[in-house]
Amino acid sequence: MLQVQQVSKHFDRRRSVDGIDFEMERGEIVGFLGPNGAGKTTTMRMITGYLTPTSGQIWLDGLPMHEPSRKARGKIGYLPETPPLYPDMTVMSYLRFVADLRDVPARQQKLRISEMIDRLGLEGRERQVVRSLSKGYKQRLGLAQAIIHKPDLLVLDEPTSGLDPSQIVEIRQLIRELGEQHTVLLSTHILQEVSTLCSRVLIINEGKLVADGPSNQLDSSLNDKFQVALEVKSRPAVLHTLLDGWGWSETDYVLTDPDEQQEQLIRVRLQGEDGTDFRERLSLALGEARIPILELRRESMSLEDVFLKLTSESAPESATVELPSSSESSAEESSATEATPAKDELTPLTKTSNKASKKMNNKEDRA
Amino acid sequence: MKRMWAICSKELQLYFFNPTSYFAIAVYVLLSSIMFYVSFVVYQPSIIDYRLILGDTIFMLLIVIPLLTMRLMSEEFRQGTDELLLTSPVTATEIVLGKYLASLGLLIVLILCNMVYPLTMSFFGKLDITLLLLSVLGVFLLGAAMMAIGLFASSLSQHQMVSAVIGFVILLTLWLMDSFASGATGSSLQQWLAPFSLSGRLNNMIKGVLHGPDLLYYITLAALFLVLSIQIVERKRWR
Repeated sequence: MLQVQQVSKHFDRRRSVDGIDFEMERGEIVGFLGPNGAGKTTTMRMITGYLTPTSGQIWLDGLPMHEPSRKARGKIGYLPETPPLYPDMTVMSYLRFVADLRDVPARQQKLRISEMIDRLGLEGRERQVVRSLSKGYKQRLGLAQAIIHKPDLLVLDEPTSGLDPSQIVEIRQLIRELGEQHTVLLSTHILQEVSTLCSRVLIINEGKLVADGPSNQLDSSLNDKFQVALEVKSRPAVLHTLLDGWGWSETDYVLTDPDEQQEQLIRVRLQGEDGTDFRERLSLALGEARIPILELRRESMSLEDVFLKLTSESAPESATVELPSSSESSAEESSATEATPAKDELTPLTKTSNKASKKMNNKEDRA
Repeated sequence: MKRMWAICSKELQLYFFNPTSYFAIAVYVLLSSIMFYVSFVVYQPSIIDYRLILGDTIFMLLIVIPLLTMRLMSEEFRQGTDELLLTSPVTATEIVLGKYLASLGLLIVLILCNMVYPLTMSFFGKLDITLLLLSVLGVFLLGAAMMAIGLFASSLSQHQMVSAVIGFVILLTLWLMDSFASGATGSSLQQWLAPFSLSGRLNNMIKGVLHGPDLLYYITLAALFLVLSIQIVERKRWR
């Protein structure tokens, strides 16, 4: 439905977006993820026809968005980072204006506007001046503006930024509902948002696409080593003699008491050399040594880890991670993640894993 | 067409809600009333003629028009609402023309305010109606050209005050075109510059002569600056 082909944008010699290439199918909710200044907004502006790409082409249902025609623009609904509202207008007159602007036939206007007011919970505020609306209501009105003409593609630029937690939940619920009728591309730097809302995620860093795949598979494909978090009550010296020599690729002991001979709570993070599950062996061994296990938990890499891994500066340019697309069967998916070429591509990225996971450890310790 | 009217009516609404437009019109009415008072009540002329006050009031347009047009494009760029306009099925031409039509509506309000003076005069003697109508037409054409220039200035900056100053400078330059070389009246420089003067072109119409080139001058000037504004809005995509 949407094809973005090798799109670049330069601003005064600075490359803001560099050769981005992806496709979207009808009905998908795609999360567009990246740190601030990575080129998310610029890419979205090019997709909506607000900016013209320096090079490359964008097609929406076969219509060019790099030289947008009136028809092509009518197929897009766009909510920029700051909702494009006129503070002096009332909610009603603003919606009427947008309906005219977006070619909603005059006969349907009344119906469509009352539909929008109903759907976005703007009842009772029709006559209120936009200036006096709260941030959450402004965001709703911004969404109403974007969907009033029933667009095929809905582009939302950081739809939940600057909202309070309850408003964020409301807006997310709305986006989930909208995703049932529209194809949605939404940008965010909140990773949790992607895992709760999106079926697919694109990660962009410094103008380049660094990952593309189903959001629930991002971690499994990068997480090639089995990792466990353990909490036991023991003397560190005993634990060391028991666990050393198992062939860990990475271990991390956190003691509550610096005295190695003192019995105490110990938190350990263990990473195996490959993906084999060693939990059974570990618990049996600890039980034999009569060391009580307080907690034993498999650690899967969080989206934060994946994100840090993918966007850390040491990631080489060529290491675009192609994750299996969601349209493939699950059997193909698992074989694709095991396949050697994919792993070869991943190897340069995993080098940074020690650094990334250590960062996370420190954060948790402080917390 | 529908989209152009949508933009026009939106702009008129915003004029209606915006204190700046009331302020500008109030200043215009206040100053021109003072001028009317001075030239009609204080001096008590022996003739009844709209032109007694006309010259002074049109000079006021130089200040009022940039104040009224400065908002038109600048505010869209500053608020980010240009993202709404440029991603909806409106063309740049429709955006600019819609806004221009709204500014013409405001110009009509200004001219209607000014009609208080001939109305007052008509109680004290007989007005030359043909001359009055021709003068009003002349002022409308002059104002229309000035509005187009103000709109163009507004599309140059996202700061309203900068737009107003740019507009004022362009207008003042064109206004004074014939007096630049006033030290040497009849010099070749003045002969070259005088036809381009905003104010000079009005003289024929005030005298009661409808002269084709004068009409053409104002219409061309308006069209030129509208085309330039359209180009600038279109160029925003290519930054």
